[in-house]
Amino acid sequence: MSILQVKDLSIEFSTRNGGVKAVRGVDLWMNKGELLGIAGESGCGKTTTALSIPRLLPNNATITGGSVVFDGQDLSKLSEAEMESIRWKEISVIFQGAMNALNPLRTVGHQIAEPILLHEPGVSKKEAEERAKALLEEVGIAASRYTNYPHEFSGGMRQRVMIAMSLACNPKLVIADEPVTALDVMIQAQILDLLRKMKREHDLSMIMISHDLSVLSELCDKIAIMYAGKIVEFGDAREVFTKPRHPYTIRLMKSYPNIYGEKTFVSGIPGYPPNLIHLEPGCPFVDRCEVCMEECRHREPVLSEIDDDHYCACVRGE
Amino acid sequence: MKNKNSVLSQLWKDHMGKAGLILLAIVFVMAILGPMVFPFDSSQTAQSSSEILNAPSVEHWLGTDDMGRDVFRSLLFGARISLFVGLMATLISIIVGTIVGLVSGYYRSIISVILMRITDVFLAIPVLPLIIVLAAVFGQSIFITIMVIGLTSWPSTARIVRSQVLSIRERMYIERIKNLGASDFRLMFRHVFPNVLPLIYANTVLVIAGSILSEATLAFLGLGDPVNVSWGTMLHYAFVSGAMGRGAWWYIIPPGVGILVIVLGFTLAGHCLDEITNPKLRRV
Amino acid sequence: MERLRIIGKKTVELLITLLAIATFNFVLFRVLPGNPLTLIARAGHLTEEMVHNIESIFGLDKSLWEQYFIYLKNIATGQFGISITYRRPVAEVIGERFGNTLILLAAATVIVIVVGIGLGIVAAKRRGTKADRSLVVASMIGWSLPTFWTGLMMIIVFSVSLHWLPVSGITTPGAFYANGWEHFADVARHLVLPTISLVIVDMAQFFLVTRTSLVEVMTEDYMLTAKGKGLSSNKALWRYALPNAMLPIITTLTLYVCLVIGGAIQVETVFSYPGMGMLMYDAVLKRDYPILEASFFILAGVTILSNFISDIIYMYIDPRVKSL
Repeated sequence: MSILQVKDLSIEFSTRNGGVKAVRGVDLWMNKGELLGIAGESGCGKTTTALSIPRLLPNNATITGGSVVFDGQDLSKLSEAEMESIRWKEISVIFQGAMNALNPLRTVGHQIAEPILLHEPGVSKKEAEERAKALLEEVGIAASRYTNYPHEFSGGMRQRVMIAMSLACNPKLVIADEPVTALDVMIQAQILDLLRKMKREHDLSMIMISHDLSVLSELCDKIAIMYAGKIVEFGDAREVFTKPRHPYTIRLMKSYPNIYGEKTFVSGIPGYPPNLIHLEPGCPFVDRCEVCMEECRHREPVLSEIDDDHYCACVRGE
Repeated sequence: MKNKNSVLSQLWKDHMGKAGLILLAIVFVMAILGPMVFPFDSSQTAQSSSEILNAPSVEHWLGTDDMGRDVFRSLLFGARISLFVGLMATLISIIVGTIVGLVSGYYRSIISVILMRITDVFLAIPVLPLIIVLAAVFGQSIFITIMVIGLTSWPSTARIVRSQVLSIRERMYIERIKNLGASDFRLMFRHVFPNVLPLIYANTVLVIAGSILSEATLAFLGLGDPVNVSWGTMLHYAFVSGAMGRGAWWYIIPPGVGILVIVLGFTLAGHCLDEITNPKLRRV
Repeated sequence: MERLRIIGKKTVELLITLLAIATFNFVLFRVLPGNPLTLIARAGHLTEEMVHNIESIFGLDKSLWEQYFIYLKNIATGQFGISITYRRPVAEVIGERFGNTLILLAAATVIVIVVGIGLGIVAAKRRGTKADRSLVVASMIGWSLPTFWTGLMMIIVFSVSLHWLPVSGITTPGAFYANGWEHFADVARHLVLPTISLVIVDMAQFFLVTRTSLVEVMTEDYMLTAKGKGLSSNKALWRYALPNAMLPIITTLTLYVCLVIGGAIQVETVFSYPGMGMLMYDAVLKRDYPILEASFFILAGVTILSNFISDIIYMYIDPRVKSL
C-alpha cells in the first residue's frame, strides 16, 4: 500500500547569485512499512527533497512544480496551518546534527512531551510525561534522565533523544536526515540497530538520508541515488546494490573499500558537481562520466524502468 | 595593502557604508579646509551687546554666539577640535586596549588574570561619572580630555582582542612554532597580531564615534577646554548663556547636527566594517 | 549547591570591586598632590567648626594608612563628608535627590525594554525587508544623537515654540495639589520630555542587541526542530527563540546601566531636573568635591550591583553555566 508518492517535484532556492535549482523533477514512491534510503553527495538535493515532504524548507525555497502525495493527500496544496497539524503527528524528522537540534534551555523530557501536548489536546501533562519517560527507556536512556538538559548528554545519547522525540506522536512516517553522520563508528552501529528496532516495533515507514552508502545498505528496502537534483537510479535496495546500472552509482559503490578481499586502490570520482544556477543542457553527469556518449550532452535522460522494480536515468539504459 | 583597498571598496558598495563614508568626507573637508578658508579668532568678541546672539544674516551665515562671534566660523573650527580629540583619544585607547588584550589573552600567568579583572572592573563602571570626576580633578584642557577619554575607553578593545587571541591560541600551529624556539614576542606579532587586526579595525571606528560623543558631553557639562572651542563647548556656552530662552536656534542646532553627522558617519562605517569582518553578522 | 558557590564568588568579587572604587576615590581626592578636599576645606568657604568637623571625621591629621581605613569605615557607614556648597552632610543632600533620579530611570527603563525589545523582535522577524532596514538606520541615528542635544532640541520644539510641555524641574513651582493624583499628573508632565530624551540612545542599543541576538538564534538548528514539531512561527518565537536570545541581552544589562546613568546626568542638567545628575553638574561648576566623590561612588556602586544581578540572573536562566 503506497504511503508516499512524489511526482515531478522541483524546488528552487533564490539567492543573491541567482536561482539554484536544487531539485529538478524528482519521482519517488514508497509503500507502507518500507525504509527508503536516499543517497548522494553533498548538495545533490537529497535533504531538500526529503524535507519538502513536511514542508520544512527555508524561506528562500519555493516548490516550483510537482506533487507530494502522502497517505492520499497532496501536501503541496495544503496551507501552512494544515501542515502544522500534520507535522510530527503524521510525519516526524530526526534532524542532522543533534548537537544543536535540541533547545538548550529546556529539559529533554519537556521537549519530548511537547509535541504530545501540542497535537493531542486531551492528554494531561502527567500522561505526556509518562509517555515521554517510556520512550526514553525504549531508546536506552534511563527514565530518571527526563529532567536533564541536552548539554548533559553525549552526542550518541542526544541522537537517541532525538529518536525518542520523533516517535512521541506515533507518526506514520519518520524522516532521518543523516542520523549517524556525526557519530563515531561504534555508536553508529548502535544507533542503526536502534532505528531498525524502532521501525519494527512502531510499525513505521522511514526515509533515511545519507551520503554514506554503507550505512544505507544495512537497512534499506528501497534506495534512491540522487545527483545534481535528480534521481539517477531508484529501486529495490538489493537490486540496486548488487546490480548498479547508472555510471554514477557504479563509481559510488567503487568508492567504498571492501573489507574482505584484496587491497585495491580506492578511486574517488574526479571532477565537481555542476553549477545548479546555470545548468548546461543534457545529462548533468557528462563531465565526470566514463562512458558518456555524444547524445548525453544534448538531452537529459528520464528515469525509466530497466528491470523489475529497478529504475535508471541514463541514456545508455533506455 | 591589498586588503585595505578591498575593505574600502566593500564599504563603498554597501548602502550603509557608503552613507557613512560620505558623512565622514563632509566633516573632514569641513574640519581641514574650513578654518583655512574661513579662519576663526575666538578672541574677537563683540564690541557692543547688540551683536550678541544675532540671527543668521548675510554677514554672519549662522548668526552670532553669546560673545558676538561668528557661529559659522566657530562651527568649522569646532569640527577640528572635536575630530582631533576623538581621534587622539581613540589612538590611546586602541593602543592600550590592544596591548592589554594581547598580553592577557596570550600569557596564562597571574598577570593576565589581574589584567582581565581590571578590564572587567572598568567595564562595570559608569563612564560619564568617571570622566566627569577625572576632568574635575585634573583640570580642563584638551590634553586632559584626550587622556581621560583614552584611558577609560580601552576595555572594550581589550576584551575583543583578548577573546580573539584566546581562540587563536587554541590553534595547534602556534604551539608547534613555539616548540621550535621562537620567542613569545615574535609569536605575538608575527602570528597572533595579524589575525587580530581585522577585528580591531571595526572596533576602532566605533571607538572613535564613542570618543567624540564623550568629548562633546564632557564639554557640554563644562569640562572642556575653554580656549579650544569644540562643538560640545559651543553648546555649553549656548546653554549657560540662555540661548534657548532667547530662541537662538542657530547657535544650538548646527553644533548638534555636526556632532550627529560625524558620530553617525563613524557609526555607520563601523557597523558596516563589523559585518564585513564578521561574516556571522552579514545581512542577507 | 553549585549555584550558591557561584553566588558567593560573585559577592566577593562585588565587594572587591567596591573596595577598588573606594580606593580609587581615596587616591584621587585625598592622596594626590593638590589634594582637593583639604585645599578647599582650608580655603575659607566653610566655618571654622565645619573645617574642624571634617578634619576629625576624616582624620586628616593622621598618617595616610590610618586615613585610608577611616575612609573605608566612613563609606561603610554612609559618612561621605560635608558638601561645600550646601553646607550639609553629603549623604543628606544626595538622599534627597536620589529618589528623583530613580523615578526618571524607572520610567526610562520600562520604555526602553518594551519598545527596544519589541522593535527588535519586529525587525528580526522581518529581516532584510525595508521595515527592518529603516529601523536599523533609525537606531543608528538614535545611537549617534548626543543625549543632551536631544534634550535641548526637545525643549526648543515642545516647550519654547509649542508650549506644550514644561521646560524644567520635576514639579511646577509653587503648585498646590488637590490630591495625590494631581501631584502625580504634574510630575508625569514634567517627566515626559526628559524621559523621551533619555530613552533614545538606550532604545537604539536595546533594539540593535535584540535584533542581532534574535537573528542569530533564528538560524539555530533547534528552530527548525520547533517548526518540524508543528509549532506555529509565533509559538516557536516565544518558546524557543526569545528565551535563547535573552541570554546575550542580559549580558548587556551593565552596558545599559552605564549608558542610562550617563544619559540621566545629561538630561537632568538640560532640564534642571532635581536629581543626582544635576547635583553632579552643579558640583562640577562649583568644584564641590565631596559631592562629586560620593556621587561617583554611589553611581559606580549601582552599576556594579547591576552587573552582579545580571550575572546571577544569567546563571539561573542558562542551565549550561557551570562556572562563571
